[in-house]
Amino acid sequence: MESRQATAITTRNLTKRYGKVAALTDLTLEVQRGEIFGFLGPNGAGKTTAIRTLLGFLHPTSGSATVLSHDVATESVEIRRRTAYLPGGIDLYDALSGIETLDYLADLSGRAPIGRDELCERMQLPASVLKRKVRDYSRGMRQKIGVVQALEGNPELAILDEPTEGLDPLMQHAFYAVLDDVRAAGRTIFFSSHILSEVERVCDRVAIVRAGRLMALQDVDQLLANRKRHINLRWRGTAPDLSEVPGLADVQINGDQISATLQGEVAPFVRAVSSPSLEDLTIEPARLEDAFLEYYAEDEPDEVRA
Amino acid sequence: MNGHLLLQTWRWQRIRLVLVGLAGVAWGVLFPFFYVQFAEVFKQLAQSSPMIQQLMNFGSGSLLTLPGTITLGFQHPLTLALVGIFAVGGGALAIAGERQRGTLELLLSRPISRRMLYVTLTVALLAVVALMVGLILAGMVASAAWQGVLDQLDLAQLPLVFASGFLLWGAFTTFSLAASVSFDRTGPALGVSLAYLLVNYFLEILGSLWTDAAWTQEYSLFHHFQPVEILSGRANLVDVLILAVATLVPIAYALVVFPRRELAAPS
Repeated sequence: MESRQATAITTRNLTKRYGKVAALTDLTLEVQRGEIFGFLGPNGAGKTTAIRTLLGFLHPTSGSATVLSHDVATESVEIRRRTAYLPGGIDLYDALSGIETLDYLADLSGRAPIGRDELCERMQLPASVLKRKVRDYSRGMRQKIGVVQALEGNPELAILDEPTEGLDPLMQHAFYAVLDDVRAAGRTIFFSSHILSEVERVCDRVAIVRAGRLMALQDVDQLLANRKRHINLRWRGTAPDLSEVPGLADVQINGDQISATLQGEVAPFVRAVSSPSLEDLTIEPARLEDAFLEYYAEDEPDEVRA
Repeated sequence: MNGHLLLQTWRWQRIRLVLVGLAGVAWGVLFPFFYVQFAEVFKQLAQSSPMIQQLMNFGSGSLLTLPGTITLGFQHPLTLALVGIFAVGGGALAIAGERQRGTLELLLSRPISRRMLYVTLTVALLAVVALMVGLILAGMVASAAWQGVLDQLDLAQLPLVFASGFLLWGAFTTFSLAASVSFDRTGPALGVSLAYLLVNYFLEILGSLWTDAAWTQEYSLFHHFQPVEILSGRANLVDVLILAVATLVPIAYALVVFPRRELAAPS
């Protein structure tokens, strides 16, 4: 019981097929309360299918899932009572103004619009903009309305499907700051994206899906720590013996330039190259993009390819 | 049923409802007026040729009696257009329109079950259709009073006329809503709903104008809404029952099918 309460989302072998096409296969994961969980994959990887199954828009072919301890197959209304959702590429009612849209959706949610004013201010939605009809809004402004309608009212869990789509870089950063505050308030965010840098920036843990299958599920920090870092150094005189440095590979010596990859701890390598002969050293930070590309470099899983 | 959704659905329709409702009242007023002004001329015309007499029995109505004229009024193509805007147009677009627009996700991401969404939209549209039928009938009755021929109507039967008219258009409304929950796009939903209305209409009119094809009328819902029979005290409860079944079957279908549908992301 304790474990269930600590878990915001649990899926067990969740599978969704459309005829012979597998959109989601045996997805098993847990999202803890109070974390920002990144759900990462390219378009068509099954992210939206998973989200729509969690919200009851799609029915699982097999497996099970719970959201806030409610079964997705039988208690989807209760899930949606406690969960906010931002659909990918949100569409709104053109005939309503921004403020009418927010009021209407808040009324339907049954949640008081707590924090709306602050959210609108942070997302640069002043009253003059909110009074305008949605039909006059740009893609980015509609997305801002989507963000506000999802995060106002302090939902226990917010499921955001590609939330920065259409937002300009400034607004993206404002949105990331909002998410930081949401995390600080102990609320849970399930965040789907194909933008690696933002997942790296905001998420505590990340799941990487590929062709409907879970490829990795790790802390972002841990995932990055296990990545290979690219190293370049310039050396004066004879190249040092780096053969004993753990995790060092792909060593290439080209004149006074040495390049290599390093996986694991950096300290042994730094000790090995600490010398007056070292003229320059660059250790590129591990990036989520590398991890992501590594998972995607492999062949497609047979089941999905079939 | 969700009150906020119900009110917003009516708000979407309010301008259209006022305009079409006023047109409905005006349209209803015209029929008793024409009956009083031209009934004698029509009778003489009818006696001059059996063919003209046949043409005056358009649908199940007749220009020769006030109840017949009222029936004709409810079967006139313009009445189909006035009520059909809400019954067929509103019904077919109610859910398929939200789906095509991509706003169904916004509604269903709230704590609203699909059944609740469907029931709320059905109640909202049936109320609008009831209002339209009532306004047209009210226009007819007011005009009959204005023209001094109210005594030709059995006023005690008016509630049954209204109920039957409501059930007729209720059947088209619930059919359109059933189509609306079945399709992701408005085109097919609207097409199927319109075809259902027009086939029913065609069967009724064909049988009325061509005596050899009179049997086709039995298969038309329009034939089971007969103000002329009701106002003459010859109401057939089987007709009411048929209309009630035609209204309820699509509701049952939608209540079963809609919650089971897979709502994949709009493409």
